[in-house]
This record gives sequence, structure tokens and C-alpha cells, in this order.
Amino acid sequence: MRMLEKDEEEGDIQVSWQDQENINTFSKYNAKLQDLEEAYEGKKTEKEYLDDLAMELELADEDEPVKYRIGEAFVSLSLEAAQERISKSQEELDQEIEGLKSQMDEAVEKMDGLKKVLYARFGNAINLEKD
Amino acid sequence: MQQQQMEVNPRGIPKAPFVENVEDHVTVEEPVEIVLKKFQEATAKYKFMEMNHLTRKSNLDAKIPEIRKTLEMVQFLEIEAGDEDDAKEIETMYELNDTLYATAKIKPTGKVCLWLGANVMLEYPVEEAAELLASKLSAALKTLKNTEEDLAYLRDQITTMEVNTARVYNWDVKQRRIARAKAESSDAAGLD
Repeated sequence: MRMLEKDEEEGDIQVSWQDQENINTFSKYNAKLQDLEEAYEGKKTEKEYLDDLAMELELADEDEPVKYRIGEAFVSLSLEAAQERISKSQEELDQEIEGLKSQMDEAVEKMDGLKKVLYARFGNAINLEKD
Repeated sequence: MQQQQMEVNPRGIPKAPFVENVEDHVTVEEPVEIVLKKFQEATAKYKFMEMNHLTRKSNLDAKIPEIRKTLEMVQFLEIEAGDEDDAKEIETMYELNDTLYATAKIKPTGKVCLWLGANVMLEYPVEEAAELLASKLSAALKTLKNTEEDLAYLRDQITTMEVNTARVYNWDVKQRRIARAKAESSDAAGLD
């Protein structure tokens, strides 16, 4: 928060309940967006790992068992079984990443809409930027 | 602040009062300082609750992947044990110690032992274990959802209280300025 300038003090800012709701909604979307961005980064990194793995396995020897990590331990699986598991995980991750991306886009859209409304209502008396 | 019917959310967190009109809340009995102090107290309480919820959320965020991993392994064993007598040995490497792994050959027996905490381990048939873990996972996910809802609700109340505080403070600054201007102009008039 910063101190208002002399001329900014003049306006007697009346805050209606609707305004308060808008401010609260904006704050919620802002917090949610940060969480979503974090989760999104995490999933993207995981996907990169899986993609690298898939490539490695394509070059691997057909008869060699692959030590695939399930839970905390490694299990010897046939190359085929391991590749199957990897492609299943990749698909699931892709879906999750899609979902996260669309949630993030929605949040940004709603926030932009609210920003216009709130700036029109309060002008200089409110700060909605990420500092 | 007037005694109003306190609304609460599903987990019993009270709703913050909204200052529609500053004059309604500031009276001679309750001058600005008292009102501001009450608002500060309420904001501090909400922030404390927020901290608790954040801790609970991060605990859940750590526990849930653990449950998932255990469930994955149990489901794998379930699939392997499904072949019964024909079940081939599973060769696995498990963590004996940090960065130290040991090989083991396991014949799927259809039974697993689950660590329940407090130095207690219980043997379950594989299917029951999978069910138990799945229900633990869904309970944890539900608690996580509730905690996240509460966090959003708390965010709302904190924002409302902060806006209330700012408005009461600004109103007070304005009142003082008006009072000062009046005093100065009456001084000036008196001197004439």
C-alpha cells in the first residue's frame, strides 16, 4: 500500500457491496492463477522427462528388461510393457496439462474483465498490478 | 461494530462484516481508533487461520503423491497376482537405504502388507489393499478441496477487512482535514 497524493484524496470513494465482490473475485483469481502456473510448470517438466525416456527406449535393445519405477521401487519389465506404461503416463499428463492451460486462460480472461470494471470505478484509488 | 447475525461457511469460518457506510460504524462511543483496532484484530485472526490452512494444504500436497505411489504398486501387484499359479516372478530393485538399492525376486502371493503408521503394519489381500488405498486417496483429495475452498473464502474475508480498514482510515483523514480547515478559517475570521 502507498500513501495517496493530495489530489487523489479528494474523491470520497464509496465502495458498494458489488465493488467489494468484484475486488474479492479478482483477488481469488489472482491467487488461483499463481497456483495453476506452479502446477503447470511442474507437469511440463515431468512431460519433458517422459518424452526423453520414450526416445531412449526406442533405441533400447528389444530383449533387455527395463527397470521401470513403480512407486518407490524399480521393477523389471519387458521393453514393450515399459513403453506401454510410458505412453499411458504421457497421455494422462497431456490431458492434465490441457486442463491446467484452459483454467489459466480462463482466469486471465476474467481478471482482465474485472480490471477494466474496477479501474473504471476506482481509477487511481486501486492498484491491480502484480508488483 | 453492531451485533449482526454472523454468517459462517461450511467449516464454521465467520463472514467478515462489510462497511457499507463509514459513518454507520464510527460513533462517539466507538471512535475511529477503536474501530480500526477491531478491524486489525479481525484481520490478524483471519490471517492466522489462513496460515493454518496453508500448512494443512502443504501436508496434504506431500501425502497425496505418497498414497498414489503406493496404490500404483499395489495395482501392479494385483495385475501380476491375477494369473495365480502361472504368476511369474517379479524382479525388483527396492530402496534398502538412501541411494542403496537391493534386488529382490518376488512371487506374487496375492497378499500385501500396508504400513498404517505408529509402527503398525497390517497384511491385506491385494484387492482389499487397493480398495483401502483408493478410499484413503479420495478422502485426502476431498480434504484438500475443502481446504482450498476455505483458503479462497479466507482470502475474501481478508480482502474485505483490508478494504474496510483502508476506507475507515481514509474517512478519518478526510474528517481531520475538514476539521483543520474549519479551525483555520474560523481563526482567520476571528482575527478580523
